[in-house]
Amino acid sequence: MNSTTASKKDKPEPVSRTAEIVREYGPFAGATSVAGVTHDGQRVWAATGAQLVAFDPASGETTRTLDCTCDAGTAYDGTYFYQIAEARIDKIDPASGKVLASIPTPGHGSDSGLTWAEGSLWIGQYRDRKILQIDPVSGAVLRTIESNRFVTGVTWVDGELWHATWEGDESELRRVDPDSGAVLERLEMPRGANVSGLESDGAELFYCGGGGSGKVRAVRRPRAARA
Amino acid sequence: MDSLIAASARALAAGDALGALKRVALRDDPPALALRGIAMAQLGEHPRARELLRRAARGFGAHEELARARCVVAEAEVAMAMRDLGGSPRALAAAAATLDAHADRANALQARLIAARQLLLLGRLEAARAALAPLDVRDLPPALAAVAELTAMELALRSLRIGPARAALARAQEAAERARVPALSAEVADARAALDRPAARRLFPGGEEALRLDEVAALRASDALVVDACRRGVGAGDAWRPLARRPVLFALARALAEAWPGDVDREALIACAFNTRHPDETLRARLRVEIGRLRALVAAQAGIEATARGFALRPRDAREVVVLAPPIDGEQASLVALLSDGAAWSTSALALALDASQRTVQRALAELEAEGRVRAIGRARAQRWLAPPLAGFTTILLLPAALPIE
Repeated sequence: MNSTTASKKDKPEPVSRTAEIVREYGPFAGATSVAGVTHDGQRVWAATGAQLVAFDPASGETTRTLDCTCDAGTAYDGTYFYQIAEARIDKIDPASGKVLASIPTPGHGSDSGLTWAEGSLWIGQYRDRKILQIDPVSGAVLRTIESNRFVTGVTWVDGELWHATWEGDESELRRVDPDSGAVLERLEMPRGANVSGLESDGAELFYCGGGGSGKVRAVRRPRAARA
Repeated sequence: MDSLIAASARALAAGDALGALKRVALRDDPPALALRGIAMAQLGEHPRARELLRRAARGFGAHEELARARCVVAEAEVAMAMRDLGGSPRALAAAAATLDAHADRANALQARLIAARQLLLLGRLEAARAALAPLDVRDLPPALAAVAELTAMELALRSLRIGPARAALARAQEAAERARVPALSAEVADARAALDRPAARRLFPGGEEALRLDEVAALRASDALVVDACRRGVGAGDAWRPLARRPVLFALARALAEAWPGDVDREALIACAFNTRHPDETLRARLRVEIGRLRALVAAQAGIEATARGFALRPRDAREVVVLAPPIDGEQASLVALLSDGAAWSTSALALALDASQRTVQRALAELEAEGRVRAIGRARAQRWLAPPLAGFTTILLLPAALPIE
């Protein structure tokens, strides 16, 4: 277990440990990088720039692809995909891959991770070190959570808000307090395993987009966090 | 990395520099500045590209030393494209070390290649050789391997090591074909043409013969006593005496060699060595002194005998005597021949070697510079003259490897 560096004295020190990588997927045919990832209940979807690639997490085989621009975070609300492309969020029909609606991103293209929860979209602002809750129809900003690290992927699971950081070549998964932004728990990724996108499968795994490595990594969600 | 940076990088990787620029044109965060810089470099806007890359490097935070190092490498490459060689070699070396520490082998090698090419462009051949020697080009992107081999070829060629030069050229060609970059293949073809161009003339009593570089090298490596008016020196095989700084001795050696096996009359020697048609006793005495010096210099390969009317060259062990001259006559051709050793020459050294006035040499250099056949580095008294590189030093095609994509 790693020790944490001393932070502010009035805050409890976050629990810190090394991320346990369970499995790696990819790189995928025709793709050089993976940005956002999401999970539709059965398959994992990875944004690879010009295609959303779906694979079966058990076999690792690619089962579907959708042609659409996908530069950063991906989210799934149970019916539709939401995908950051350039400076907009496209709402995509999973059956046809057609873009049904678009809203501008709050960061005008400086946005990174995306997830769906509680009827809202949550979007990471990479170098601005923020997570915004936005209205999926109008794009209006409902809430802002400050982080002290560059924010890439964002995901909610069991009422916990997790986000990935990637600064230099250091990456972590962090559980943060959705009200204060305080870091509650940290999972340190090994050097070189950087996280661009993040999604929980709703159970015991996180799926992490591996940026320029072109991989998706499955990371075990710590038990202590679920106790 | 955020979405517009990803979209912009995707456009750049696909060769769409304008598309890349459009997406980040209004952004001033470091990754956007870096992408704008690289796109500008690809569009040929080098000064602007350099400024943007500098700002990007300054903007990256303490945790982002990898991104910063990549910007330093890209900026150095843009500077080289501008032929601005005044940058700090230490910054580039530090960037290479950082890239190594982060296991970014391709960019680390690129940084070191840029450093070696800078030294080559500065005429510092020994330092360039030392910088290039430890680089391991195996398993590298073929474009980088091709550039490394072209650099090795140029170094070998400058010192007339034709065999190694041809081997490096063959490897460069193979790598360029794998890289599928037309500009690189064109450079390899240019370099090959340079090998086949006449590099010197061999003078005979009744005529002359054009020689390619490998024929020159073969003659220099042979047992013959070579008096080379291209590189201003005398010697046989490994025993080579540069006479660039001793124009009188060289003029005498050349006159004796051209007359070989005959002799040269004293007055003719005085006329060619001291530039006068009115010999007197002091000049005769001076001639004896200079002949004595030349005799000492070439003693191992040849003797210089006094004859009834003058002096004659008598090579030892029945050696042949060969006289090499620049491919065409004239000051300009002599200057280009001298600079073909790849070293940096001052105007005064060139004037001394050619036994001409500095003014004359300056005039000839200015004309050659206007035609792009020589280059100057430095200013005023520190100015030095160099032959242009044999390989064109393709620039923009290497930049995408320095992309700050995380």
